Amino acid sequence: MITLLIGAMFIMLIILTIAINTTTKTANSIVLFFGYGLISTVLYFLFSAPDVALTEAVIGSGLSAVVLFITYLKINKQKKGVNDES
Amino acid sequence: MMSLKKDIPLYNIVVYFIVSVMTISLLLLLGYLEPTSNSIGGEILKLNTHTTQTANAVTSVVAYFRSLDTLGEITILFTAVFGVSLMIEKNQKFKNILYHENNLLKIGIDILFPLIILFGIYIILHGHLSPGGGFQGGVIIASGFLLKFLAYGDDFELSHKIVSILESISGVAFIVLGLLSLLAFDIFLGNILPLGDITKLFSSGSIAFLYLFVGLKVSAEITILIQYFIKIRKGENGN
Repeated sequence: MITLLIGAMFIMLIILTIAINTTTKTANSIVLFFGYGLISTVLYFLFSAPDVALTEAVIGSGLSAVVLFITYLKINKQKKGVNDES
Repeated sequence: MMSLKKDIPLYNIVVYFIVSVMTISLLLLLGYLEPTSNSIGGEILKLNTHTTQTANAVTSVVAYFRSLDTLGEITILFTAVFGVSLMIEKNQKFKNILYHENNLLKIGIDILFPLIILFGIYIILHGHLSPGGGFQGGVIIASGFLLKFLAYGDDFELSHKIVSILESISGVAFIVLGLLSLLAFDIFLGNILPLGDITKLFSSGSIAFLYLFVGLKVSAEITILIQYFIKIRKGENGN
């Protein structure tokens, strides 16, 4: 039962990576990146590595996604106001 | 970035191929996983009980058996933050994000902020007893400050001076502990304090103190990094 669940999660990881690479909107791929971090957190925990799971939850799906979002917002803004420079 | 994705489909195909091969190999490995086999992990687990007295074996690997690598990691993080700050400081193009005042967000984050900081301090102090440690706790503290920046915008700002003093003191203390053990026992970053009882808070000698300094340094660095990312400078923004 638990092996089936783990296999389903791995397949979801494959689907998520394909989706992250193929979505045309950058914001969508950042949101999918959150989901990738969450699923891999559960997988690390199930493989009895709580240290790595905590790191993944904090850094992978928390901090880096927020930093990516901030960067995305700033670059979008820069594109809109790009007429005044170069 | 988007046009690059459309222009090079080969890149996508290579990425899918690598990810699926890795996933399939992990699935195949599921049946063959055995904890504490007769590899180096089992040896470290055996050594752990009578050399370091840490309840969490991962911490004793990070802060005792491989503490020189931890020093390298801290240096890498410091260099990364230094580079990012130099790059953002020089680049005039990025604009500030527009903030909309939201009282609900402010009140909620005011309630959550001390709890998050307390949880981060707990994770740092109990690094040698439970999962977690300096790196994770430091990033949790920094994420508390990140929420504060998001809610308050320009009203909340940490002074660079205090944060950099905290960071340099903790970095120097890490190396001083290592040098003291080099003077005493001829081992760099060894154990110089009494070991104490396992599963007590004051156990495992200087491992707990090394991880405390790592946590302080990481939290200061990541907080300053987020501050650089969120707000560039005052006065120049085109809002």
